[in-house]
Amino acid sequence: MLTKKGKYGLKALVHLAQLPAGQLAFVGDIASGNNIPKKFLDAILGELRNAGFVQSRKGKEGGYRLARPADEIKVGHVVRVLDGPLAPIPCASRTQYQRCEDCNEATCQVRHLMLEVRQAIAEVLDQRTLAEMRDIVLDDLTVARGIDGLPLTQKVLA
Amino acid sequence: MSVGRTNSIIVVGGGASGVVLAAHLLKSPHPDLRVTLIEKRPHFGQGIAYSTLLSAHVLNVSAAGMSAYADDPGNFWRWLQARGLVSQEQTPQTPFYAPRSVYARYLKELLDELEVREKGTGRLRLIREESLSISPTSSGVEVTLANGTSVVAHLAVLATGHDEQPGAGQGHAIRMGTEADTALDPEARVLVLGTGLSMVDAFLSLEQRGHKGEIVAVSRRGLLPSPHRKGNPIKLDVADIPFGTQLSYFVGWFRDLIRENQKAGIDWRDVVDGLRPFNQKIWQNWPSSAKRRFVEHTKAWWDIHRHRLAPEVHARVTEAVRTGRIRPVAGRVVGIEAGDGFSIDIQSRHTQALETLQVARIYDCTGIARDISTTSNSVVRSLVDRGLARPDPLRLGLDVSAKCEIIAGDGSVSAKILAVGPLTRGTFFEIDAIPDIRVQCARLSKQLLG
Ligand SMILES: Cc1cc2nc3c(=O)[nH]c(=O)nc-3n(C[C@H](O)[C@H](O)[C@H](O)COP(=O)(O)OP(=O)(O)OC[C@H]3O[C@@H](n4cnc5c(N)ncnc54)[C@H](O)[C@@H]3O)c2cc1C
Repeated sequence: MLTKKGKYGLKALVHLAQLPAGQLAFVGDIASGNNIPKKFLDAILGELRNAGFVQSRKGKEGGYRLARPADEIKVGHVVRVLDGPLAPIPCASRTQYQRCEDCNEATCQVRHLMLEVRQAIAEVLDQRTLAEMRDIVLDDLTVARGIDGLPLTQKVLA
Repeated sequence: MSVGRTNSIIVVGGGASGVVLAAHLLKSPHPDLRVTLIEKRPHFGQGIAYSTLLSAHVLNVSAAGMSAYADDPGNFWRWLQARGLVSQEQTPQTPFYAPRSVYARYLKELLDELEVREKGTGRLRLIREESLSISPTSSGVEVTLANGTSVVAHLAVLATGHDEQPGAGQGHAIRMGTEADTALDPEARVLVLGTGLSMVDAFLSLEQRGHKGEIVAVSRRGLLPSPHRKGNPIKLDVADIPFGTQLSYFVGWFRDLIRENQKAGIDWRDVVDGLRPFNQKIWQNWPSSAKRRFVEHTKAWWDIHRHRLAPEVHARVTEAVRTGRIRPVAGRVVGIEAGDGFSIDIQSRHTQALETLQVARIYDCTGIARDISTTSNSVVRSLVDRGLARPDPLRLGLDVSAKCEIIAGDGSVSAKILAVGPLTRGTFFEIDAIPDIRVQCARLSKQLLG
């Protein structure tokens, strides 16, 4: 499940991806531009830096920028770093598995379907780059069409 | 089926990879298929790994992993059973490390069977010759042979494997079992460059020859391989694994994963093996800086945990270290002076102290990977020299696409020359061992023949 942390992190990366290559952005600007609490954003950017998605520079001229070109960063890779294993529901994860108090996972149909959903999430998010996600905002219509054309969507529906 | 267009394929190199690829290609029912396998050694299916006759040189992968067929993991096991080489009580799950010479026989018989089966069809042709070059032509490829003739086909797959000569800069070091490896004073001390699986092979060969002298084994970290243990790899999913991060982040995640599993009583080996299905994907998604750092700093650690020894062999090595027959040293050889034997200066990694040793011989056991642009292999050399192929960015092998196609010096992707096995390390990373090679060969066969 995408948490607020994951969502904010992606928004911040899109913000950075919109800048000319190499240009740094202040945390304050990213926060105010995307409606993200600044303290929270500091923590998020720190994690993204540890994982090697962004670089930072300290001081007056400081700020954050992408560590790699936006077309080399996969959305799914960012989400795993911020939110942990991809899973639509906690019982559908292997490493962060959490048993549901109120059901038997072996016979739970909901969980079985959610395992399939997990695959689909990974397939979509691991194919999409940050650059593609950035460009989505520019033209909602083509994007909507583009997504319809993805073979994945068919797979999920089939 | 796409066989109409590419139905003739030359496989250059008939070691394990070449034989496994030929076997997968010949699963195609198409009557017009033509597979030509070219090998310069007298025997197919041996290559560098399976030509040893020493029974102590056993496989480092248990029998279930060594089937030639990706979709039939029991194939090697059934072969062993049919020949009485495993007892009736043993199951395919019992760890079993066959002598490598037995594996060579398995591949030989597999190829013999294919030859018999395809006798009348003309679909398989074996050529015992060295191939010197591959050139694209308007309709396919032409492969020239050392005897002056050439063979043509729609496409060629390189399966030339490991380099047979020590890498440049190894100076006076020789490879065990080559012509230069003449008789030795049994009491003499020898130096082995490397402390991994090849060093262990050398130790076993020296023991077999009755050698008694000290074996000083030097590598940067002086790490010896770990033993196998019967286990049950943990189950992971793509959704769990942090792909595409910096190396330190990934290593942190992996160490935590091992720690958590160990708390639950699970052996680290089961965690390392659980990651195996994802190793290629992890490698391919790393930024180039992470790949480089891994090769420089983490690979030595990874190798001793990932590429392990049969327990019996590990016990012999441990005993030899205990009794001082093998002395592993973490350090670097900083000076070699040839005279009556060699005078060697080794600098310790930890204390920086210099130690000078007299040794009668230096064996190169630094492992099988070497910079491909300095390869001693004629075919690979000629492809690189003519700009038809190039090293991958880390120089682990040839630059190939995810579909095994060779990438030329100018970055263009060849539709006619492909590669499998260790040559494709730069792209697939873990592609040295049969469990990975057979999957690659199965995929490539499907890609080429549908
Ligand atoms: C000592 C050792 C032990 C190993 N043990 C195991 C194990 O237990 N399990 C496992 O899974 N993996 C093991 N491996 C990994 C090994 O890489 C593979 O199993 C396998 O041997 C790779 O085979 P290959 O055919 O790709 O390469 P190679 O074994 O190098 O074979 C290449 C072949 O191509 C031929 N050739 C090369 N150039 C030409 C040319 N120009 N013309 C004609 N022929 C040519 C060579 O003569 C050779 O026969 C081991 C490797 C080594 C070195």
